[in-house]
Formats: sequence, structure tokens, C-alpha cells
Amino acid sequence: MPQPRLELRRVSKSYSDGAQPVEVLHGISLAAEAGTITALLGRSGCGKTTLLNLAGAMDFPSEGEVLIDGRATAALSDAELTALRRTRIGFVFQFFQLLPTLTVLENVELPLLLAGARNSAATARDRLRWVGLEEKASGLPYQLSGGQQQRVAIARALVHSPDLLIADEPTGNLDTAGGDQVLALLRDAATRFGATILMATHSAEAAAIADVRVSLRDGRIQSLERR
Amino acid sequence: MKLLRTLILRPLRRDLLRTALTVLSVALGVAVVVAIDLAGDAATGSFRSSMQTLVGRTDLEIVANGGVDERVMGTLTGLPVDAKFAPILEAQAVIPGVGAVPLYGADLLGESRILLSKPLAERVRGNRISFNLNGRGVSYTAGPKVDGTGDFLVLDIAEAQRALGRFGKLDRIDVTVSPGEDFAKVDRAVRAVLPAGYLLNRPGTRSEENQRMLRAFRWNLRVLSYISLVVGAFLIYNTISISVVRRRAEIGILRAVGAARLTVLALFLAEAALLGVVGGALGVALGRVLAEATVGLIAGTVNALYTTSRPAAIALGSTEAMGGILTGALVSLGSAFAPAREAMRVAPTEAMSRGAREHHASLRWKRGLAGAFVLAGMAWAAAQVDPLGGYPVGGYAAALFAIGASALAAPTLVLAVNRATRVATRRRAESLLAGRSLTASLARSSVVVAALATAIAMMASVGIMVGSFRETVTVWLDSQLRADLYVRPAAPSAAGEYPPLPRGIESVLESVPGVEAVDLFHGVPFHYHGERATLGGGRIEIVRRYGRLRFLPGENRDAILRSLPGADRVIASEPFANRHHLRAGDRIVVPIGARNVSVTIAGIYYDYSSSQGYLVMDRATLLRYLPDQPATNAAIYLSRGADAQRTARELELRTAGYGVTVAPNRTLRRTAIEIFDRTFAITWALEAVAIVVAMLGAANSLLALVLDRRRELGLLRYLGASAAQVRGMILTEAAFLGLLAMLLGLALGFALSLVLIFVVNRQSFGWTIQFHPPVALLAGAMGLVWCVTVLAGLYPARVAAALRPVDVIHEE
Repeated sequence: MPQPRLELRRVSKSYSDGAQPVEVLHGISLAAEAGTITALLGRSGCGKTTLLNLAGAMDFPSEGEVLIDGRATAALSDAELTALRRTRIGFVFQFFQLLPTLTVLENVELPLLLAGARNSAATARDRLRWVGLEEKASGLPYQLSGGQQQRVAIARALVHSPDLLIADEPTGNLDTAGGDQVLALLRDAATRFGATILMATHSAEAAAIADVRVSLRDGRIQSLERR
Repeated sequence: MKLLRTLILRPLRRDLLRTALTVLSVALGVAVVVAIDLAGDAATGSFRSSMQTLVGRTDLEIVANGGVDERVMGTLTGLPVDAKFAPILEAQAVIPGVGAVPLYGADLLGESRILLSKPLAERVRGNRISFNLNGRGVSYTAGPKVDGTGDFLVLDIAEAQRALGRFGKLDRIDVTVSPGEDFAKVDRAVRAVLPAGYLLNRPGTRSEENQRMLRAFRWNLRVLSYISLVVGAFLIYNTISISVVRRRAEIGILRAVGAARLTVLALFLAEAALLGVVGGALGVALGRVLAEATVGLIAGTVNALYTTSRPAAIALGSTEAMGGILTGALVSLGSAFAPAREAMRVAPTEAMSRGAREHHASLRWKRGLAGAFVLAGMAWAAAQVDPLGGYPVGGYAAALFAIGASALAAPTLVLAVNRATRVATRRRAESLLAGRSLTASLARSSVVVAALATAIAMMASVGIMVGSFRETVTVWLDSQLRADLYVRPAAPSAAGEYPPLPRGIESVLESVPGVEAVDLFHGVPFHYHGERATLGGGRIEIVRRYGRLRFLPGENRDAILRSLPGADRVIASEPFANRHHLRAGDRIVVPIGARNVSVTIAGIYYDYSSSQGYLVMDRATLLRYLPDQPATNAAIYLSRGADAQRTARELELRTAGYGVTVAPNRTLRRTAIEIFDRTFAITWALEAVAIVVAMLGAANSLLALVLDRRRELGLLRYLGASAAQVRGMILTEAAFLGLLAMLLGLALGFALSLVLIFVVNRQSFGWTIQFHPPVALLAGAMGLVWCVTVLAGLYPARVAAALRPVDVIHEE
């Protein structure tokens, strides 16, 4: 059996809120294979975003391990984590998080610039073409619709061809048409680029494209359903 | 009050570092103003003669250019008026271990001993007191101690005249009208018997003259001290703007639940007032300390350039303290008014984001640029205005307008430079983000650029002015100091004081082998139209033959100097001519000794040794009016091939016992430049404080930018930025700010230097300064300022790099 690209082993996460620690996740175990989409479902506050942060190596478990390609994220140095984010992980957020002062092309190019990659503009333009927004390259984010902005955000998240894409409510701020376009892109990303996608969502449409659906409740896995 | 606590005080406490930086900016600004005022008062305020404490009240004083003839005393005492006439002589005595103290000659009814003031008697023990008078050692038996403030000595008038070699001469006669006597009658009677050239002044005229003489010096110093406050004002504006932007949502909620517009306005003005009052109070305390350090510098300049002054104790009264605090509060309120008014206008439903506001701000740059052009035009117009009441008000206004113009042009510059560097900055993520961030927060970054630019401009302009002045003086010294050796009394000499050379020294000097010509100069303190100046007599033929005196363009040096001997013709120094609005060919009446002499201004020459100025005539002409006037210094020209060192040694040998010093040309030049540099030391100190204030502002603003862009910085970490890259981005932003400020600051500084050189200096001191920007010095200073600006970004950069992305990414 091949090694899962992302694996969470008995992961718990608690925050210290004054004297009383607040446990957000309890003993989560989960694995995601290359080219699959895993949807995290559940009410607000159930721990979806915390789990995404742990999976994306932006945060670390209080107990248990998060492994990306078999390496525990907590054991990595800051430089290794930065390198990991530059090469292996992409993020998509509910509110797009595009930088308003950069053009559309520059927003997409940014991860490559941060990584010091060559031909960054050409690669970014290629990704924009993929999301169907090449003609908007020199525009500014505020000139785009919400759906278009999220497509730009997806292009940015995939510009460095990451193995792992973390998406937090990617359609949560979009209308149906915009949401459908974004979901189609995510599906295509998994298929075409072989990206492993971990997505938190409330939307049934989003959940419908997932290969694995994980329901969370109060920080625990309530159900896990494979398609 | 509760609103104030929750909306204003709590955030101030939460952002303690930024609050402290703002308060410190105000404190430094106020401290400099308070320090310069206190030190200026202490250094120049004590012109009241110590004699007044000895002789009591004086109603009138009789003075004359070249001294009062003591025979006048006989006439005065014979007048049928009930008044007391007291003859006075003044000189400086140098007491070993004590230094220079005033020595007065007064009518002590033939007392042969010397009287010491009580404070001086505490320091000088023993029955005999020895000191140096006009370069010669003298010794007296100490008599009774006398009341009076400060150190001074008193001799009987006859003994004083003998010791000073001023037989038959007095410096002044003090007149005290007896109670019950008609003052006007005494005034009329005295005037009636005084020779035409004598002046009858109210007491305090001398002090007023001194204060008037120092007016320009003190005003310019005071204006310089306001620079830090101006820079601080920009920063208060920035702090309150940030405060308004951050609390926009809160303001909207407040308005929605019923808060009146004026309540919102009052809240933000209260924040400014609080920062101003606390900063002002701190500034007063700091100013008191700084004044101690400054008073010596100011007193040194006053002594070197104007008149003898003994620094008094620094007096910080409640008026000064309240004034300082009020200054802090008013500057704060003034600069906070615009952002506070903006807060007042927030509609209850409005929830405008920072980005949208900044976008609006970026659209306003054209309006700002138009305003900048209007203000620049006003600056040009103001620079053409003549001085008002002796003050270069137009020059100051021009400087303020120019600062305003540059502040309004700042957004355009930020946008233009960003556009121009777009391709270059795009290559690296740090520079791309830093450049865009500055335009994204245009309103705020423009204020920081304007504040920094103002400080840099003041430094650059004063640098250019001082550098140009120094170069002008150096060139002038070359043309002015042409003699090989200079001889002067070995007595302390402050500006405007002319201790005499011993009589008969002329023949001694001329007898030394190698000496070709001796130009004896007679300097006489001189009152002209309520101002002090120097009347001089020199051997004009020698000046013509050996000197290189430079006259204003179009004036023929040789013809002018040839016209002086044997005629009532004078040459005037440029400051004297400008001060009294004189031109070559004008005839003026000059009181000399007992006569009013009508003289013609033959020419106007460049001179930088005194802002009060000189009138110089041929020595023979001067001695015709003041026959006993002693020479005060001598310029010696050596014959070709003579060994200057050997001649100087020979001169020293032959004049031993005369109480004179012989100085070679280069020593005089060096001393002159040293005095020049010392004079401007305080200017540099003031500049440094302004730069420090600007740096605090830069750090403060960068910190605010970091805190406001937490989410964006967090996002960068998600996108693969390392902590070092985030740090680098903030430092690059600081470097950009510094670069923009330097570009604007240099342009503004260049304009301000023109105002300083050709308007303020000319109107204040009356001299022409040639424009010589010290390029290397400016480049070094700019490099240093730029480095310090980048350093100011270190702490904000550290804060940015330490942010936890997961904590900040979901904020908004």
C-alpha cells in the first residue's frame, strides 16, 4: 500500500485559554492519498480550520503527529517548514486573501517570487490561463467578481504545483455559479496535477465532489465516508 | 469620560510602545524649544550692569562715541538742578584663577584701595589682589566689600583712568534726579550743556541695544528650535489618523447608538491633548536639563560675536513650564484637528475599510499636487517681502509654505517613485510588496515621508547655509587678513570691546627689522540710530596698497580707498549698510566725540566679522575728532624676503612689557574658523534632535503599518514567505521611506537653503553669502540618515516576523 501523502495520527489540539486548556481536536486519525479530495464537514467551531492548519503545517498538534509524505511536521525546522510551504503546500481561503495592491498576475506569481523561482511570470500566466482569467492579468483584485477572485486564489495556490492543497470554505463566499466554477477547478487540480486536496466546507455541492467526506463534531470524527 | 476611557485611553495603554514613541516625539520637540528659550534668556539676559546694584537707581545716562570728556562733569555739577552725576569707566580685569570680571571706575572720593563685590571677595582671599588689566599686571590693596550681584571690582575713577591709560575720559555719566526735582527740567538743563555729539539716554538703553543686537540671533535660534516641533506635529497627525482609521468601525457603532458628531470630535481631540500635555510636561523637564547643556554654547557665541555677557542661572518659572505644556498641547491639537474632523464625519452606517480609504486617498494626489504648486508660489512671493520690524517674517513664512508644499507633494512622489521603480522592484517579492505597501497606505506613508523629509530638509538647508557661509568666510578671510602679523592687547576681548594698545608702541613696531608697514587700527564702540556698531580708523593708504578689501559689485576699490584720506568719507561694511539702508554716495551724520560729523559713504565692503557692522575712516580723520583715541590693534606687513617667524620673535622681544600679543596670520584665520564652527555647533545639535524625532516617527509609523497589516503578513507566511523575508520586507519599506524622504528632503532643503541664505540671513544679519553647497558633507549626512531610517525599521520588522500566521489570517 502506498504511503499516504498526508496522514494525521491520533492528533489532538488544545489551546491554553488562561488557566483552563481548551481542547479543539481529540484523537483525529486521517489519511489522504495523492489526487484525492477530502472534504471536512461540520458546524462552525467543530475544529475544521484547526485541522486544516495542522495539515498545512501552519500549526502543530498538542498530541499525535501530522505526517506529510511520511515526515512529521513538528520535527521540521522553521526553514524546512518554509521550504515545505513553498514547494509542497498551497492554500485557498474563504475570503480569497488576495493582496489588493498587487495585480492579478502578481498575486498568482507571489509564491514563486517568495521562493525565488525563475520564469515566475510565465508560470503564473499559465495558471491564470488554466483558471480562465488570463485577460484579467493586469487588473487589480477589486475589479474582479468574488468567483473570479477565488479562481485567482486557486491559481495562486497551485502556481508552484503543490502536492497538497488546503482549502478552507473555498465556496463559502460565492454564489452558485461562482462556487460551481471553483469546484470544477478543484476537481481538475486533483485530476490534472495530482494534488491532494483537503477542504473544509459547509456546502453539499462541495462535499459532493469529494472522494472522502469526514464529518467532525466537537473536535472528533463523527463519520468517514468514501465514495 | 467612560467613552474616553474605553475608546481612547484603553487603546493607548494597549499600544504602550507606540504611545510612548508619540509622547517622546512631542517631549523632544517641546524640550528643544524650552531649552533654547531658557538658555537664551540665561545667556543674554544679564546685561544689567553690576554697578547698578552699587550706585542704586539711575534716571539718565550720558554717553558719547569715543568716550565722554570728564570736563563735562564740571559743567554738569554746576547746573542749578537737584541731581547727582556719577562718572563711570568700565573695563575687564583678568584675575588668576577666576577669569575675566568687570572692573568699574566710580567716584569713591579718592579711595586708594580696590573694592570687591561680596561674591568675588568669597573667592579671592588676602589683603592684596593682583590682576591683569589691558594685558598688564597690576596689584591693589583690597578695601571694603560691597553689595552687589556677581563678581566685580571697583576703583576710584581717577585711579581707574590712570590704570587704563584713559586720562580725562569716561565711559558714561549716570544721572540720578533727586526726589521732588522736576525730571523734565533736569533733562532740558543737561541737554542744553552737552556737546552736540553726546547722547542722553534713559537707563536700560544699553541693555535694549544689546537685546536688539541679539534679536536676530535669538529669533533665528528660536525658529530653528521649532523644527523638532514641526516634525513632531506631523507625527501627532499620523498617530491620530491611525487611531481614527483603526477605530472607524467603533466610531460607526458609536454614531449608530446615538453619539453626536461633536462627541466623536472631542474624543479624538482629547487623545491629542492628552498626548500633547504629557509630552509637553516631559518636554519641560527635559528642556530644563538641556538648557544647562546649551547655555554655555549660546553664551560663547554671544561673547564671540556680539557683546560681553555673563550667563545667569537658568530660571524655569511656572510661566515657562506652563508655556511648554501649552505648546505641546496646542501643537498636538492643531495637528490632530484634521483627522479628528474626519472621524466626526464617519456616518453611522459606514464601515469603510482601510483599503477603500487609502484608495480614496490615492485619488486625491492630484489635488495635493495642485495645492503644492499654490503653496510653492506663495513661498516664492513671501520670500520677496521686506523684513517687518526687523524680523525676516517673509523668510519664515516662505519656509513654512515650502514645507507645506512638500508635504502636499509627498503622495505624488510616493506614487511616482513607485511607478518608476515598478519593473525593478518586481524582481524580488520583498521589494515588490514593500513598494506596493507604501502606495497602498498612501495617506499614512505620505505623512511619514513628509515628516522625515522636513527634518532632512532642515538639516540639508542648514548644512548648505553653514557650508556656504563657511566657504564665504574662508574666502573673505583670504582677502581680509592680508597682513603677516597682528598685534593686539593681551586682554580678554569680547566682540564690541576694544582694549587699547599701549601708547608709543607704533614706533617700537616700526623699528623691528623686516617690518615694511604698520597699519594701526582704532576701534571705537559706537551708537548709531539706537544700534551698536564699530567706528574704525585705519591707515587707508596701507590698506589700499597691501590689502584686498572687497567691495560690492560695481564699486572701484582703488578709487574708493584713495578718496578717504583727508576727507570726511567712510567705508561701511555690508551689514552696517543693510541694517541702516545705506548706499554708496549717501551722506550720514555720525556723532563722534563732542561733534556731529557729516560723512559720505564712499563704498560698501564685504565683512563677516560683525553683524552690527563697521564704519571705517582714515585714521588721521578719526584722530582729528578723537585726538586721544588709542589704537586697538595693528596689522604688520613684512618686507619681501623677511622671515616671518624671526620677525615675530623679535617683535615679541621688543614689545615685552607692553602687554600685547603677536599672532601670525594663520593663527588668526584658524581662530576665526574655530569661532565660526563653535557658533554653529548648537545648530547641528538642534538638527540632530529633529532627525531623532523624525526617526521615532518612522519607527512609530512602521510599527503601525505592521500592526494594521497583520493579516497580510500572516498570509505571506502561508504563501511560503520565511520570517527573514517578512523582516526584509519591512526593512525594505523603511529603506523606501528613507529614500523617498531623502529625495523630497533634498529638494525642499535646497529651496529652504536659498530662503535661509538670500532672505533670512540677509534680512537678519545683512551679509551676502555665496552659495557653496558642501556636497561631501551632505552626502555623508544623507547616507547616515538613510541608515538610521532603516535601523528605525528593525523593531517593527521583528514584530512582523514574530506574528503567528494562524492567529492573524482569520482576523478582519
